[in-house]
Amino acid sequence: MSTAYSAVGWNRQKKIYDGWIAAFCITYLALFISLTLLFNSEATFETILIRSTSTLAVLLLHIILSIGPLTRLNKKFMPLLYNRRHLGVTMFSFAAVHGIFSIIQFHSLSNTNPFLSLFLSNTNYGSVPAFPFQTLGFIALIIFFLMAITSHDFWLHNLSPIVWKTLHMFVYAAYILVVMHVMLGVIQYEKNPAFVLILFTGSASLIILHLLAGQKERKIDKMKFKLKEDGFVYVCEADEIEDSRAKIFCIDQERIAVYRHENKLYAIHNVCKHQGGPLGEGKIVDGCITCPWHGYQYLPQNGQSPPPFKEKVSTYDVLVNNNKVWLNPTAYAEGTERKGASL
Amino acid sequence: MIISVILIIALIYLLIGVLFVPFFYIKGIRHIDETVKGSSIGFYIIISPGVIVFWPVLLRKWRKALKEQAYE
Repeated sequence: MSTAYSAVGWNRQKKIYDGWIAAFCITYLALFISLTLLFNSEATFETILIRSTSTLAVLLLHIILSIGPLTRLNKKFMPLLYNRRHLGVTMFSFAAVHGIFSIIQFHSLSNTNPFLSLFLSNTNYGSVPAFPFQTLGFIALIIFFLMAITSHDFWLHNLSPIVWKTLHMFVYAAYILVVMHVMLGVIQYEKNPAFVLILFTGSASLIILHLLAGQKERKIDKMKFKLKEDGFVYVCEADEIEDSRAKIFCIDQERIAVYRHENKLYAIHNVCKHQGGPLGEGKIVDGCITCPWHGYQYLPQNGQSPPPFKEKVSTYDVLVNNNKVWLNPTAYAEGTERKGASL
Repeated sequence: MIISVILIIALIYLLIGVLFVPFFYIKGIRHIDETVKGSSIGFYIIISPGVIVFWPVLLRKWRKALKEQAYE
């Protein structure tokens, strides 16, 4: 929001979240190393390090990419979204360890510059069985690096939300590069089909999750609303909206969140000023609408962040008549006070 | 050959970024983002890799902010 920046915006929830990330990573690495030593006692330290960090990074990447669609499908997954940024930086850290040690292991033992060696030691770009898969991993690592170094609100403000979001959407391009990197690498070094099967299952799950979430959102966006003469639109029955929660309605291509708070209904624009998070998927905490993505808060009656913060979103008029909720999709200026509709 | 040229250009670009960091922290950052007032040293450390990479964007913002202040 608008107070001084800190290095890491930790709070109790984020510390718990990070504790779980650390426990998960340590458990995974311990299991991977133990099983490798058990079934392949000849494996070297470098091989174990390169493989354990790479598989962990790929696993974390799948978790990160699943969180968005999962939360859209079921709100129970919302806590996972809250600190996804730290999960992303953790994933990059393990990918970087994998990348750096791979370059040391495979490209630093000759007189050639390791980075030159990475690109020039294998130039079989026309061959699938001998494709230089390491370059694909390197490009993916560069994308993850750019995402990790801009994972701070300073960058969101100073690169602008659109540029920031666009940069971070490159995670999907990086994911495709990672899949190709693993698949083409496995062809060259692995006889065991388990890696291909695991990755195929992961990719298929991600595609299905994204399709299901997209289908659900499209259904909401395509809901038809009957217009009333004075500009109000019937949207739902009042008791369909849970206390301290919202329902999102897409009218004239604008998403509006109608919140229920202290026996009143309030409507605000659904898009958080921070990173465009869906405000209607959050809940009311301490009297404020709280964005599910990073906890940015807005007062329901005027769409303003509580002082000293300065963020504002548009507000709308709501009416309740015979338990029917009517919404006027004409936006008031950001931060305009509306009295809400009594239930 | 092309790869060597690209790597040298990237290296020069990043070196300029490294040189840009102290000037930006001392003179520029306050002009483009008033929220940095009172920020911790940890914050400056954590954004440093980004400053090294995105220095042209920040330099442009810095120059724009100076121009706007000159008009006021």
